[in-house]
Amino acid sequence: MENVIAITAKDISKTFHISEDSHNTVKHRLFNLFNPPTRKDVQALKLTSLEIQKGECIGLIGRNGSGKTTLTKVLAGVYPTDTGYVKINGSTMLMNLGVGMSHELTARENIYVSGSVLGLKIKEVDQLFDEIVEFAEIQDFVDTKVKFFSSGMMARLAFSIAVKAGADIMFLDEIFSVGDMKFQEKAVKVFEGSWIQGRTVILVSHGMGVIEKYCNRSVFMKNGQIEFFGDTGKAIEYYTMDNQ
Amino acid sequence: MVLKILNDWFKGSNKFERLWLLAKIEFKLRYYENKLGLLWALLKPLLDIIVYYIAFKVILKNDIPAFASFLFIGLIIWNFFLESTTGTIQILSVKKYLYEYSNMNKLEIYVSTLLSNSIGFFFNFVMFLLFYNIFEKASTGLSFYNVWIIAVFVNLFVLSLGMSLILSTLYILAKDINQIWTVFTSFLFFLSPIFYKLSTFKSALPHFDYANPIAGIIINARRIMMEQSPPDFRLLIFDYGYAIVLLTIGLIFLNKLGSRAAEKL
Repeated sequence: MENVIAITAKDISKTFHISEDSHNTVKHRLFNLFNPPTRKDVQALKLTSLEIQKGECIGLIGRNGSGKTTLTKVLAGVYPTDTGYVKINGSTMLMNLGVGMSHELTARENIYVSGSVLGLKIKEVDQLFDEIVEFAEIQDFVDTKVKFFSSGMMARLAFSIAVKAGADIMFLDEIFSVGDMKFQEKAVKVFEGSWIQGRTVILVSHGMGVIEKYCNRSVFMKNGQIEFFGDTGKAIEYYTMDNQ
Repeated sequence: MVLKILNDWFKGSNKFERLWLLAKIEFKLRYYENKLGLLWALLKPLLDIIVYYIAFKVILKNDIPAFASFLFIGLIIWNFFLESTTGTIQILSVKKYLYEYSNMNKLEIYVSTLLSNSIGFFFNFVMFLLFYNIFEKASTGLSFYNVWIIAVFVNLFVLSLGMSLILSTLYILAKDINQIWTVFTSFLFFLSPIFYKLSTFKSALPHFDYANPIAGIIINARRIMMEQSPPDFRLLIFDYGYAIVLLTIGLIFLNKLGSRAAEKL
């Protein structure tokens, strides 16, 4: 497992173009041919490169608006990068509250669809199904449409799918705030168990305790720039300094 | 690029399973949600046929033999095309949950939706076969040429997929592509020989059957299913050409525009 690279990102950057008036219809574009929209460029991620090894747990810290979410989305292959390239070795999953589920589908269908998207075979999902339902504590609502779920139930279901099915590379965005205290305890237990071993995890959190506990290396971001990538203790120092 | 995608698909052994799973769920969502359920899928073409039959046979008194079957095969092909294009313009927005949190290949979303439409087409086609062979008085029965329908359907599938890719990726840039396409398809509907006699159609609009791929597909389907003759091969090759060109453009669009869907929609 050593020295196998999970993600290579070379010279990546991301700029969002935000136009104030909506030029997103043919009519609008025609009528405003000589009147281009006022655009605002937001450089969310400045030119950077990094490499993540397989089986590593990387912390990602920084203040609000420092580009953490953009970086995870680019690394997960959800957003295309403007420059350079990202090479991903395996399936990825981004997890935050209310992750990738269709509100029109039932919990059962969502489990199968998500499991399948994460690369499992139907038979494998069959085997995991009861575990997922039990872990999420939604036994009585298996055939209920997810849109009728409370946000807590939804988050628990998403968390359970991610924990039991899991992609090769997981991006976990503040996941330890899911559910009540009992559920959180359970989640932490799973996390500390065998789960994290052999998996590539990018952990985004404002809780330094969590980062310190699980990550050997961490990324500290400021204003869309990776200021530091290396020893977690050092990264947290930078972060605390930045917060003062 | 196409080869790479195909290769990628065959390697990952759960891809076909996933496509089928997504297609089944899509089909269920569409037809089992309301009380009439699957009956709707079967009833809709029948009701359409009744409307056009009254208009063109009872009122306009045309002399096409086996007119109900003639309409039937034309309409189920047209409906497949319409559902797979107009019905998928907003697909990247509706199915965002599938690609927003993972690096799933977006093309799979399209193929599974079209597969779901194919299930519907299959049911309608079986109904057509029953109707044509049991109730149609002017029926010529089954023949070996019927097998060619597979080639024609693949043609229709690829054509619809290409068009669906183009429209839904343009939707990211222009939200009113929906209205434009609706006008265009109603134009296309009346410029396809769905309820005209082929000779009338050809003399009024010479060579137009080569310009309109849907016309060619419908003409060939009728030759195969109702006239006991092989498809018009020139037309078939032409229509495969259209389908492949559109699919190529569609894949390029998906690569260039579709990759930005997560941030733009």
